[in-house]
Amino acid sequence: MKPHFRRMLQALAVMIWGGAILYFYGSGRINHYLATDFRPIAFAGGLGLMVLGLFNLLTATQEVGCGHDHSGEDEAAHDHEAGDMHPLTAFILMVLPLVLSIAWTKDKYSVSALTRKGLYETPKNLITPFLASSMPKLTLEEIENTHCRTEDGFLQFNLMELFFATGDRELQTLIDGLKIETEGRWMTERVRNPNGSRMRLYRLFMTCCAADSQAIPVILEFGTTPPDFPDNSWVKVSGTMRFPLEEGELHPLIMVEQAIAAEPPFEESFMRK
Amino acid sequence: MLAGMSADSQQDFALAFLSILYEGAPFILLGTLISGFIDVYLPAGTMDRFLPKNKYLAVMMAGLLGAVFPVCECAVVPVIRRLVKKGLPVSCALTYMLAAPIVNPITALSTWKAFQGQGAEMMTCSRLLLGYLIAVAVGFVVLRLPMRAVLRGKLVDSIEKDAAKKASAAQAEHEHSGCGGHESPHHHPPAVPDSGQRLVAAFRSAMKDFVDVGIYFTIGVSITALFNTGIAPGAEWLDTLAKNQVAAPAALMALAFILSLCSTSDAFIAATLDKFSWGAKLAFLTFGPMMDVKLLFLYQSVLNKRFIIALALGLFISIGAISIFWQALVFRAL
Repeated sequence: MKPHFRRMLQALAVMIWGGAILYFYGSGRINHYLATDFRPIAFAGGLGLMVLGLFNLLTATQEVGCGHDHSGEDEAAHDHEAGDMHPLTAFILMVLPLVLSIAWTKDKYSVSALTRKGLYETPKNLITPFLASSMPKLTLEEIENTHCRTEDGFLQFNLMELFFATGDRELQTLIDGLKIETEGRWMTERVRNPNGSRMRLYRLFMTCCAADSQAIPVILEFGTTPPDFPDNSWVKVSGTMRFPLEEGELHPLIMVEQAIAAEPPFEESFMRK
Repeated sequence: MLAGMSADSQQDFALAFLSILYEGAPFILLGTLISGFIDVYLPAGTMDRFLPKNKYLAVMMAGLLGAVFPVCECAVVPVIRRLVKKGLPVSCALTYMLAAPIVNPITALSTWKAFQGQGAEMMTCSRLLLGYLIAVAVGFVVLRLPMRAVLRGKLVDSIEKDAAKKASAAQAEHEHSGCGGHESPHHHPPAVPDSGQRLVAAFRSAMKDFVDVGIYFTIGVSITALFNTGIAPGAEWLDTLAKNQVAAPAALMALAFILSLCSTSDAFIAATLDKFSWGAKLAFLTFGPMMDVKLLFLYQSVLNKRFIIALALGLFISIGAISIFWQALVFRAL
């Protein structure tokens, strides 16, 4: 392939990558893929790729030297532009998976992927003795002071706090029995649900990107047939927090008093900060 | 395989694939822009001037040169090939080749960003330290070996031929002072292109590097997305290895070998391997930039085959052992 065609093909591949990033950023869909502080980096990267691609496209036919001493070297050993494989193969390998993924994505995971990402897992003991010894003692008063209370007297909790309290004995003891309110995505309960009175509420915890996200679930116990909401819809629940021991493990469970449909929050995931 | 997936699997693959790609692409761009500009603007003899005369100190210093001349593992092989031909000691060249992809600011930044919320500072420091120590250790071993035991026969021949040429050219320098009017055995300095041409050359080099790295990154991200979402056959089996103290680092080093990722972006993949311990991820992040499928081919342009095999085995065993030790001693205490 002629060098300027090779350059054009490479520039095109680079611009397709840049264009895809800029499109997802511009449309706001990037929120489903990257954590907050990675989004401006992606935007800058997208712009940079467009500039790199465009510059090389516009100068593709220009012949330039590199300024290096080529004496004593064969051509292949000092070719600045020869790639690892045929330019067309390289183009297809770079662009095809990206295009297919853009066509296939629904900006969310299926239930089977969510299951793999912890939807039905139990929180492990997360506090090491070292960490526990270095943290100040927590009191109920502090919890009440740092959480808003609804008109009905429920303390508003982040779903993640309820989940991780299961692995933190101190926090768990303080929260157990409290009247709480939280929100998350509605999902069918598939384990330990013989009476069909349980559902599951979860949110995705994204550290950097969707691939590293973890499902953070709590169990909802209704005592009777649960209300009918579509799977993955946003629901706000209020009730009493419990940590029952089932099959040898502690589980975060809300004895639900009320469950209502809720607006999706601005951010899909919990963020680091 | 991608085309035969169910609609749910396609949806899961796409989400994981795009998220890792969007996260890593800016860091690859940064790395390849820098390496492109180094390629065109940095004279070949610059590095020699940074190295002390003492050969052990020179090896130790060579392990840190990546901080000044950051180059990823794909770009470093042609660079050291050129440097060795220009007289850089083989021990220093190999130390730089193994350390530079890890001990450089771009890799440090990308590792730190990728591991946010997962002990980023500790993982970044551990990776840089282990990468440096292993590279220097290899450099010390190479110091004791003859050049023919390390380098390709053709390259050694070429170096020896060049040395002979230089000697005869030096002899000829005494016999004449100009070069006009007769054929001279010494060669002229290359014509220096103007700044506009250099800029074009630098951007071309950066784009070529980006495409080369982008291909392997795309393949790596595709495989990772398949494992990450449980679509790939063997994903469950890989998960079962995650809890095994010895098998986990070995499995991730094997994965790093196959994936052939760029050191500027591999941390984004390692960070998603949430079932594995930090020690195993450290093994992945240290072994991958030093030995993988694509490097196996690239190394053959500089090193002889027996040395490559010995290097691969040595790196696998030493990095694996240190990672297991590191996990037990440092990471577990956190």
